[in-house]
Amino acid sequence: MSVPSLSRRAILGAIAAAAFAPAIAPAFAQDAPVRIGYAIARTGPWSAGAQVTQEPNYIMWAEQVNARGGLSVKGKKRMVELVAVDDRSDMETVVRSYERLMGSDKVDLILPPWGTGANFAVMPLAQKHGYPMLSPTATGRKLLGMKNPYFFALLQQPDRMMDALAEFLAARGAKTAAVIYVDELFGLEQFAGLEASLKQKNIQLVEKKSYPIGVKDLQPVLNDIKSKNPDAFIALSYPPDTFLITGQSRAIGFNPKLFYTAVGTAFPVYRDKFGPVAEGVMGLGTWNPKSSAATKAYFDAHVARWKKEPDRWASAHAWAGLQILEQAVAKAGVDRKALRDTIANSEFDTIIGKIRFRNGENISTPGAVSQWQSGEFEVVWPPQNATGPAYYPKPAWK
Amino acid sequence: MSRFTLRDSILATLLAALVLSAMPWLMSDFALALTLTCLMYAGLAVSWAMFCGATNYLSLATAAFFGMGAYVTAWGAETLAYGLAVLLGGLAAAVFAALVGAAVLHLRGAYFAVITFGLGELVRHGITYYEKAYAGTVGRVISDPPETVTIYHTVLLLTALAVVTALAVRASRLGLALRGIGSDEERARTLGVDTRRAKVLAFSLSAFFPGALGAAMAMRWTYIDPLSVFNPFIGFQTVLIAMVGGAHTILGPIASSVLFSLLTEYLRLQFPYLFLVILGLLLILLVLYLPGGLASLLDRWRWGKSRA
Repeated sequence: MSVPSLSRRAILGAIAAAAFAPAIAPAFAQDAPVRIGYAIARTGPWSAGAQVTQEPNYIMWAEQVNARGGLSVKGKKRMVELVAVDDRSDMETVVRSYERLMGSDKVDLILPPWGTGANFAVMPLAQKHGYPMLSPTATGRKLLGMKNPYFFALLQQPDRMMDALAEFLAARGAKTAAVIYVDELFGLEQFAGLEASLKQKNIQLVEKKSYPIGVKDLQPVLNDIKSKNPDAFIALSYPPDTFLITGQSRAIGFNPKLFYTAVGTAFPVYRDKFGPVAEGVMGLGTWNPKSSAATKAYFDAHVARWKKEPDRWASAHAWAGLQILEQAVAKAGVDRKALRDTIANSEFDTIIGKIRFRNGENISTPGAVSQWQSGEFEVVWPPQNATGPAYYPKPAWK
Repeated sequence: MSRFTLRDSILATLLAALVLSAMPWLMSDFALALTLTCLMYAGLAVSWAMFCGATNYLSLATAAFFGMGAYVTAWGAETLAYGLAVLLGGLAAAVFAALVGAAVLHLRGAYFAVITFGLGELVRHGITYYEKAYAGTVGRVISDPPETVTIYHTVLLLTALAVVTALAVRASRLGLALRGIGSDEERARTLGVDTRRAKVLAFSLSAFFPGALGAAMAMRWTYIDPLSVFNPFIGFQTVLIAMVGGAHTILGPIASSVLFSLLTEYLRLQFPYLFLVILGLLLILLVLYLPGGLASLLDRWRWGKSRA
């Protein structure tokens, strides 16, 4: 059979060409384009989140910038060229891809991969090669604990989000809460934050249980919690469990005054799947099209470009990160050391408000609580960011 | 292969390893990372084939061994020297494989495959539970990882060691016993082979390498959590590579891991949205037209020559 041996030869030649020849940038009449590289999941388990929250924003931003005539680099306009690869949801591929982008391709700038784990893996490389990274989907005190001067986290840290939730509960006079959380860095850190905040507000924790990632049935746990009749039920969950918990709570008629699920609640698909059932469910969210004229413009552009809505939490943070990059490059150019210092030491105007970093943490965006109301994820806390009053107690399941 | 003695083969392996050890100073970061991936899969596939190729047992436990090794590194990163952590990672996997092997190696075929796949889940959940209950965390940060060059040399050494071990096993009585089990286990036993001992010994030996490789590679990822190190993808890809290469040989899995890693990388970079489809099609074609793996190409070529 000569087919395999022939194609093998052709493929090896092609691989050699692809792996060792530098990528050829299209020549523009003006200055060379600014090459911005990233690896992100287009296949595998991470792709669901990455393709909702992150990559659509990267692409849309590059298109908008180029439509405006390019990225302003210290007063000069240069086009943006994205150098993007699929990381297959595989850690070694993430590391290898960024080694290629920064070490061999020597792109001008990078954008981060999706998720906390992959950001952890890229951080030391970014520092070694001196590339600032503005990460919209990495959260955790452990990340900031690395004290990496090139890493900037755009999301609110877990304690900030959980403080807001506890403040809301205290303001509404809740006395008891039950919490379940996913056995993962995310769940553990959120829970640690929440436990401390609830204690401070004198809200009694009547149940706390963790569950393994990928869980398929939580009905016994939910039944048990239902029998304890807490004012608030808080699930620090990941998308599949967020859907599972919502469905099973409704099935057993567990309808506490506050019903909160974490990641995934802000996804438009959550509302689309549950329809009227989602009414009154709370979760992690920062913004919606009503927050400001800027968020409205972003929302409309996203819907026009992708025929789908952005999620109401991290999508806008991803967009804010791109805005920060754009403003910093306008000031400092693509000299990455100067760029890092500019990002670290300035304040930026973004669609989610002004952002300033301290030791890599976004210290400007307050923690928030959002709630599905008639098809929109309304921000209900803190009052200065709210787009509507909260339904508390939560209406009965439809 | 009979034209080469065991000594020749081992010398050739060591020579190749010597040449490859100079690569960090000759290659770009990316080319080095790609070579590292090739080496990792070569080590995984050769050690997998060492047991499974000879005995025709299908083990899906590679991911479990790999993840165990990674966690040994994560636990020992602060207190153990890197080399020692890697060694312990390998030993932990080998001991675990011996214990489990003694319990489940009487199963064959699909039962054994399913059990070994379940092992990965068992170890992953076990570690998650332990970490949460006793360490109060799930992920571990490696704050001071070794240089890429150090990791590269470790992986190179382990892979060379896996090849040498596979060569030595094949030439030994143990190798003979394993092949006997592969062709007819009942008959091997009737002829006086202690099949149980041979299987447990070889299974355990073949688990050392994924354990040690996991311990070495996870250092590159800074953050270790159960989901990323017990990645079933690594296990499946290893089995695939060994089978495409020809699991009854040693050269086959090595050639196939290089080919497979480069091909995956090429397709990923050139056809970002279609690479899995293309890869799947290529695999189907290979299985249909080359059921014996790449190694059978060599056999055919030799056969053709001797006939001419």
